[in-house]
Amino acid sequence: MGKEGRRPWSAAASVASCLFGLGLAFACVSGCASSKPGASASVEPIRISQALGQGDPARRASVRLVVQGLDEDEANRTQRARGSYERALQVDPTNPYAYLALARHALEVGEAEQALDFIEQAAALFEAEGLRRPEVGVHLIGLRAEALQAGGRAEEAQLYFETAGDLAPAVWRDGTLSASELR
Amino acid sequence: MALVLLLGAFLGGLFVSRWVLELDRVVVDRFEGRTFSVPSRVFSAPLIVYPGADWQRLELADWLLRLGYREQPEGGALEPGRYVWSPGRLRVHLRAFDHPARPEPARELIFELAQSQVVGIEDVQTSKLMDVVVLEPEPVSAFLGRDREQRDLVEIDEVPPHLVDAIFAVEDQRFTAHHGVDLRRVLGAVLANLRAGRITQGASTLTQQLVKNFFLTPERTFSRKLREACMALIVEARYSKPEILQAYLNEIYLGQRGATAVHGVGEASRLYFGKPAGDLTVAEAALIAAIIQSPNGISPHRHPERAVDRRDLVLGLMRDQGRISNRSYQAALAEPLRLATIQTETGQVRYFLDALSQQLPEVYAGEVLTSEGLRIYSTLDPRLQRAAARALRRGLERIEASVSESPNAEGALQGCLIALRPQTGEVLALVGGRDYGQSQFNRCTQARRQVGSVFKPFVYVAALDRRTGPVVTLASFIQDEPFEVEIPGDDEPWRPENYDRVFRGPVSVREALERSLNVPAARLGQQVGMKRVVELARRLGIRSPLPAVPSLALGTAEISPLELARAYATLANGGRRPTPRMFVDVVEINGMAQESQPLDASVAVLDPATAYLAVSMLEGVVDRGTARRIRSSGLKGPIAAKTGTTDDEFDLWFVGFTPELVAVVWVGYDEPGPVGMPSSRGALPIWADFLKQAAGTQVRGRFAQPRGIVRLEVEPSSGALALPGCPERAQEVFLEGTQPIETCPPTVKEGGSGSGFRRTLRRLFGGG
Repeated sequence: MGKEGRRPWSAAASVASCLFGLGLAFACVSGCASSKPGASASVEPIRISQALGQGDPARRASVRLVVQGLDEDEANRTQRARGSYERALQVDPTNPYAYLALARHALEVGEAEQALDFIEQAAALFEAEGLRRPEVGVHLIGLRAEALQAGGRAEEAQLYFETAGDLAPAVWRDGTLSASELR
Repeated sequence: MALVLLLGAFLGGLFVSRWVLELDRVVVDRFEGRTFSVPSRVFSAPLIVYPGADWQRLELADWLLRLGYREQPEGGALEPGRYVWSPGRLRVHLRAFDHPARPEPARELIFELAQSQVVGIEDVQTSKLMDVVVLEPEPVSAFLGRDREQRDLVEIDEVPPHLVDAIFAVEDQRFTAHHGVDLRRVLGAVLANLRAGRITQGASTLTQQLVKNFFLTPERTFSRKLREACMALIVEARYSKPEILQAYLNEIYLGQRGATAVHGVGEASRLYFGKPAGDLTVAEAALIAAIIQSPNGISPHRHPERAVDRRDLVLGLMRDQGRISNRSYQAALAEPLRLATIQTETGQVRYFLDALSQQLPEVYAGEVLTSEGLRIYSTLDPRLQRAAARALRRGLERIEASVSESPNAEGALQGCLIALRPQTGEVLALVGGRDYGQSQFNRCTQARRQVGSVFKPFVYVAALDRRTGPVVTLASFIQDEPFEVEIPGDDEPWRPENYDRVFRGPVSVREALERSLNVPAARLGQQVGMKRVVELARRLGIRSPLPAVPSLALGTAEISPLELARAYATLANGGRRPTPRMFVDVVEINGMAQESQPLDASVAVLDPATAYLAVSMLEGVVDRGTARRIRSSGLKGPIAAKTGTTDDEFDLWFVGFTPELVAVVWVGYDEPGPVGMPSSRGALPIWADFLKQAAGTQVRGRFAQPRGIVRLEVEPSSGALALPGCPERAQEVFLEGTQPIETCPPTVKEGGSGSGFRRTLRRLFGGG
């Protein structure tokens, strides 16, 4: 799925107000989200392929499978992509990148509620591994925005979209995250 | 007279016509309907291999055998399905894995091996090193019908011509020429039998053999032969030769795999050579044709010499009839007999299948499963399943050997072991009893038994839960002293006692759980309120009835092992409750994926920090408490667990988890009776045996500490914050904001009663 048909980013409101009630994902980026849009420092969002070769052998294999899944998603082979993500979790069920990719995938196939749960699981695992960095957090926020929007909670989504767009305009200005952008 | 004859002829004709029409109806019904019952097969999860993996623990060598791969010691180019070992290296030509959503190509790989580790994987064709390889799932079992027939249907165009030629050569040379009955061959057989004075030669065509197998009984009577011949003529009149041949190739009986009858050349190719019929060599095709005459008498597994002799006879016929060249004949003769190992399933996997069939959508119930040839891809890890079956069997035998027979017990000592992945809920192993042949009752999913102390963590979690307001910290003290609770309607109040009937005075919350003390748990249950405990247990995934009575704190409720596994998985998964999942998808016989069960995201039901407190306590149970035998058994790394023994040792429980696996063991009698030992000696060793096989002695990963946890040193006897100068100190974890204010040595005089949160707790519990 391309980026068409998703909600466009709109600049507005202070980022500080976004932090209210956003929980863990926001905590990841709170350090760089404390100033107004436009004035905030942008971040370079993480690409999962950056994690290739990191961690123990199981994690390395698992991340490779996640990347293969993103390649499949990019080629619109959604079932194969799902299979790759699930295999990634078979090798390493605590791999946060797999849940991040699953969250994005779930949104693409219209499973907003599932996406929210995957986002939470990814956030918890990133947190537990000490990987809660702004470049990760921006995706958690952006994906949450997408999930809320898809679930009919547009008003709530708005704050998240703004924050994500502020932090990583190159990726999140259009309000969506493609498989290639995450890869 | 002529009129009588005419009338007789008319009536006779009428009778014959009616008979023929009846036979025709039978033939058409069978051919036009679903011709074959094809049992649905269940496959495991795939095996995933990567550099750094322990190939011996993954049982890579066994995987090759179980999948029917065959060694090619002479080297040379490897065909798909062949492998060759050399020092520090495995070269294997993987077969393609056909799946609509998760296909894998055929490819030749080299695994570089050093001791037990895979150190590299290379794709021979591209010379590229690979980070990970997914190996095709193993066939685990099948949903067989009452006839216990297994077949793998083939289409006529998938069958190699030399297999058809081999069958024609030995069974029916003139198949393409006759009309169902070969009169020339019948005449020859009659003469031969007359000369021999007994029946030495048959003359059945393939069509007649098919008819006999499809419709008739095996007795040799004239009327049966007549019926067979007539039906063969009808079949030939109604259907084309390729249709008849395809039916024959799928119907013919070709041997046994344990108690399962193998029908058709597709299944026979897998049984004898571990490959699809399309990949058979000339020699292999000749062997399959050779055993049609007497699949058990000429069984290649039991009588290899006989099988090879007859194979060579078939090859000779093929050459003599011009079906193969002399060169092919010589090459096939020289081919040694290389058979795949017969893989008979252990009965224990049937428990998993039964549970899986309950999870499948209703549309796949009953006869559909036994006849429609579905391919069901499950979550089962066959290695863990074998480990579970082995650990349970060995454990039960050991218990029986070490205790005198239970005086009140009926039947054999039983047990169950279920293992699942806490993050995804995938059921990896399930053994629901000691012997599926003796009892199909699944004690993992169908039995609800009193759970005893394995319920206690839920009481403690309810008391620690940030969501509802924590009542205690792990460093709080609870009185282990006699107390009683009035029970409405009962004359006598309830007076909980400890297992050893000793009261210890004030004990910390952590110590109370580590030692599985009853009185502090009962007291805490009263303090929290049993409704809150029930509500917490429900959130964790317990669905069985939970009466909110005081004794529930000690585990008087009856719960299934699967429910317990899910509830503990929620703790292991940072408070996120997974949904148990046993199948991934179902592929219909035409290769189309029909039903899938995508991974369900787990649902947050408990604050991660509270879940972490539970994990920390349960780690203490393993390191210092009632489950410390886990450590003395040699297991290292992150392990959390709880023992449970019900009154009179009727039910022994052990629930434990690592960051990646949760497993529940139950031991007891179906009709409750004393086992004769506590859980720590009965169920714990089974769990430890299983985990060692599953993960080795060094468990991977760690229980990650979430945000919202504070780690401090406290003085153990008071729970006060340890400052420099405090004589004793131990690490403790707290929810942020609940850490002790009291210090050791004291910095603020509080009249000896403590302060803040701690003082409140003391007031609540009356602790010293």
